[in-house]
Amino acid sequence: MESRTPSRRNFLTLSMGLPLGAALAACGTSGPAPSGGGSGGGAAGGSGGGGGKATYWFLQGPPGEAPRTASVDRFNKANPNGQIAITTIQNDAYKTKIKTAIGANQAPTIIWGWGGGGLRSYVQAGQVEDLTSWFGENAAVKDRLFPGAFGAATIDGKIYAMPCETVQPIVLFYNKKVFEKVGAQPPQSYGDILDLVKKFNDAGIAPFSLAGQSRWTNMMWLEFLFDRIGGPEVFQAVFDGEKDAWNNPASIEALTKMQELIKANAFIKGFSSVTADSNADQALLYTGKAAMMLHGSWSYGIQQEQGGDIVSSGGLGWMNFPGVDGGKGDPSNTVGNPGQYLSISSKATPEQKEIAKKFFATGVLDDQEQKDWVETGGVPIVKGSDKLFAGSKDAEFLNFIYGVASNAKVFAQSWDQALSPTAAEVLLDNIAKLFQLSISPQDFATNMNAVIGK
Amino acid sequence: MTATHTSRAAKRPATSGAHGRRPAKSRQRPNWLGGLVGWLWLAIVIIPIYWIVITSLKTQSNYYLTNPFAPPSEPTLDNYRLVIEMDFPLYFLNSLLVAIGTVIPSVLFSFMAAYAIVRSSGVSRFLRGVNSLFLMGLAIPLQATVIPVYLIIIKLHLYDSLTGLVLPSVAFAIPLSVLVLSNFIRDVPKELFESMRLDGATEWKTLWGLAFPLTRPAVVTVSIYNALQVWNGFLLPLILTQSPDKRTLPLALAAFQGGPYGVNVPAVLASVVLTILPMLILYTVGRRQLLSGLTAGFGK
Amino acid sequence: MTAISARRTSSAAASRGGGVLPWLAVPALVAFAVFALIPLIGVLLLSFTSWDTLGEIQLTGFESWRQVLTDPGLPHALWVTFLIMLLSWAFQTPASILIGVFLAGRQRYRELLAVLYFIPLLLSSAAIAITFKALLDPNFGLGAGLGIDFLTQDWLGEPGLAFGVVIFVVSWQYIPFHSLLYQGGVRQIPRSLYEAAELDGAGRVRMFFSITLPQLKYTIITSSTLMLVGSLTFFDLIFVLTEGGPGDATRALALDMYKRGFQANLMGAACVIGVILVLVGLALAMLLRRIGGRDPYASQLEGA
Repeated sequence: MESRTPSRRNFLTLSMGLPLGAALAACGTSGPAPSGGGSGGGAAGGSGGGGGKATYWFLQGPPGEAPRTASVDRFNKANPNGQIAITTIQNDAYKTKIKTAIGANQAPTIIWGWGGGGLRSYVQAGQVEDLTSWFGENAAVKDRLFPGAFGAATIDGKIYAMPCETVQPIVLFYNKKVFEKVGAQPPQSYGDILDLVKKFNDAGIAPFSLAGQSRWTNMMWLEFLFDRIGGPEVFQAVFDGEKDAWNNPASIEALTKMQELIKANAFIKGFSSVTADSNADQALLYTGKAAMMLHGSWSYGIQQEQGGDIVSSGGLGWMNFPGVDGGKGDPSNTVGNPGQYLSISSKATPEQKEIAKKFFATGVLDDQEQKDWVETGGVPIVKGSDKLFAGSKDAEFLNFIYGVASNAKVFAQSWDQALSPTAAEVLLDNIAKLFQLSISPQDFATNMNAVIGK
Repeated sequence: MTATHTSRAAKRPATSGAHGRRPAKSRQRPNWLGGLVGWLWLAIVIIPIYWIVITSLKTQSNYYLTNPFAPPSEPTLDNYRLVIEMDFPLYFLNSLLVAIGTVIPSVLFSFMAAYAIVRSSGVSRFLRGVNSLFLMGLAIPLQATVIPVYLIIIKLHLYDSLTGLVLPSVAFAIPLSVLVLSNFIRDVPKELFESMRLDGATEWKTLWGLAFPLTRPAVVTVSIYNALQVWNGFLLPLILTQSPDKRTLPLALAAFQGGPYGVNVPAVLASVVLTILPMLILYTVGRRQLLSGLTAGFGK
Repeated sequence: MTAISARRTSSAAASRGGGVLPWLAVPALVAFAVFALIPLIGVLLLSFTSWDTLGEIQLTGFESWRQVLTDPGLPHALWVTFLIMLLSWAFQTPASILIGVFLAGRQRYRELLAVLYFIPLLLSSAAIAITFKALLDPNFGLGAGLGIDFLTQDWLGEPGLAFGVVIFVVSWQYIPFHSLLYQGGVRQIPRSLYEAAELDGAGRVRMFFSITLPQLKYTIITSSTLMLVGSLTFFDLIFVLTEGGPGDATRALALDMYKRGFQANLMGAACVIGVILVLVGLALAMLLRRIGGRDPYASQLEGA
């Protein structure tokens, strides 16, 4: 968390020491043919010059850039003969850019990603290595991580990525000061939520902040309602490509409940114009204009940094999304990012692949990297990493996240990550329409059924 | 400038009017409706710009806590410092390189083509064909072709390079440049060309020695216009580059949207202010020529 | 070569036999051909393929066409594009003419105003979109700042409002440019026409409609052409401001093409949209030529 000081914050933070090799490999100008770095289709002999360099692209900006860079630096120091050159890419552009690069045969050796649907599309195009047997030979690498982290790395029973970094479950945050003022208690059930909606509206405070323009924020609500009402099987069926999976009665019920919430003014007036990228939704919570907010665990850092004293004075509360009465889902389940994922490009040279595997085995999430992640407020996906929280001023929150992640029977992946890019686009569009109340739950299901398996 | 205008006036009495080109106004009664709309629109233009400037002087932590239209109680240049210390200069340089790399070839090529088209007076079928081709390029939204452009750039191994940005930008700038430039070249009196020819000057020499200096306002107009298009261009950088070190300014601005970690709004606005400065200088310097060029190039 | 052309008597004849002139057009032609003409053909060819940007390009005949033409998203995107074109034209043209007439006055302060008016044109669409997105925030934007309740709306969340916002922001960006065109046009109107009308006792309004507007005919045609053809390709503004939303309320053709191609990885389908865009552009140019009685661009080339 300390690294997220205002001066560093996610603005124009290009890693200053961008290795020249990576820059050259990525640019592919008319000069000498790209060296080992970006060597894509056909350039089999290209490994001559660049010998032992693997390339690795990841997301730039806090909180993740510093720990990722440091871990590569340590690996490079320990392995002077087989080094990794990094390139960092801004969050928003990353998904499109990495896809484009892979298509243009300029993929890095190590492809950083979110697993799920994106990974599936690489697998289908034959662009990433199957790591199943490697994990079989190196069981220790696998066993030290949260088992839940492997779900999104597994496509049709085979593992194509190394889980890494931290868990980021979606959390229900609330402003304790506002709760005190109104004399309300945090919700224990979905029924409580409905009561609170009424209570806060009567007091002239928006019950929930929501950045509806960003669409994926709305999606988090559906993810929880689906899980709590029908259990994780409902979305799993979609993921597995079952025909008409969205027509499940639990799905229709969740979608209907969603629209009921909107009609009951559960969300801030004009929520569809609020954007998450300007942190306007966060501001609604810490300024007390809204009482609660469903958001990713990273929101804690934003509140801490921008929200004045809300975190330091104990004004920020958090909890897992409560159960829905009569629902099938286990209220300990959670959704969000069960981890991040590293794949190896199948177009890389054998030397590069070896370097990457060595990095997976010895570099990824070493003790120092775990510590670095904890310092940024993240919970590493390593079993027992909670012992590192002692002494952190954020220990309370970190323990909560560790508890959620390690106790979750199912840690489901965010839908837009789990689905293919094609289906994810349709999903986000239909979510926006559902939240505008311009389509019915059944319309939503019908539209989404049309892209199942696509 | 004056030369061109005189020649235009001399050549086209019908447009300029027998009484010269004195302004159409200075009648007694004021134009209330025009005035109302004029001032109203001015306010509409100014308010967002005012907001950009004052917000760029606020701290990020104050952004959501103060009235958006109240000037900052403690104005700070921290955002500017932050932006300049980070990679703004890199994006700025990229934009500058792409702008220069696009403007110079596009204007030179277009000028040569415009000269050839005008001087051949429609006799050369080849040049007539070239001319119709460029006119068609004006009617067709070239952005519709970005996917093949993307594919070509990849095949040329120019993906994610500034060169890869420059080449299509030059091509996209050519049709309009040729049109505006040929309008101006056509206004150079034929007698001047004739006398150059009698002096034994080559076409090449006539082109640079006569036509180019006489049509300088048009060249300035077209250059500024093209520079502006490229400077503010978004689609080509979006699809043809990927690494942050190849990013141009508009793309860098937009890239701060959409991520879960959000944006430092005041810092983004500080870079908006910095981005507009070069164009503002260019505009201030070339304003008169630009305006007359626009009027003559489009407004007949 | 030059020696020969110098001996010719007519300058027109100089180029008939080839000469140096055609060569001068070659650099522009080559640049245009490689990055505009070939892609133009390419977009048609690619529309008969499937390509997900990751794998190989596969020839799939009319599959992409079938996919796009049966998608209800297509008529919607066409309709959105058409509405944006029409409404932004209908809003910008009268406003630009009025402001242009106003600016044509020679008072000094109007010169200054003209400088200020021009500023939006210097901003990138991305910067403009970011600005308005923040100003339209219902809780921390214009309405809250100025204390005007009317301005606190779900601007980007209601399809109708979001559409209006797009039209308004487009106008904000481009009215300055068109005002300047009209300013130039008005200044070219011979004053004698007004003097004569004044002697006849014509009023202001009548003079505007019987002199100013008819005299501006060609400026109106040129400005309208630029607006209409330009509006086909609004991409950056919508992309950053609404991303086509809410839902698909502002998803115009150009944005639809990008989303299909670069976000949903359906390049073939995106090229189908590209072909449609080209066709719409050509149809529009032909239509304007009809209405204007001449080609607004070719008019300039009466010598050719």
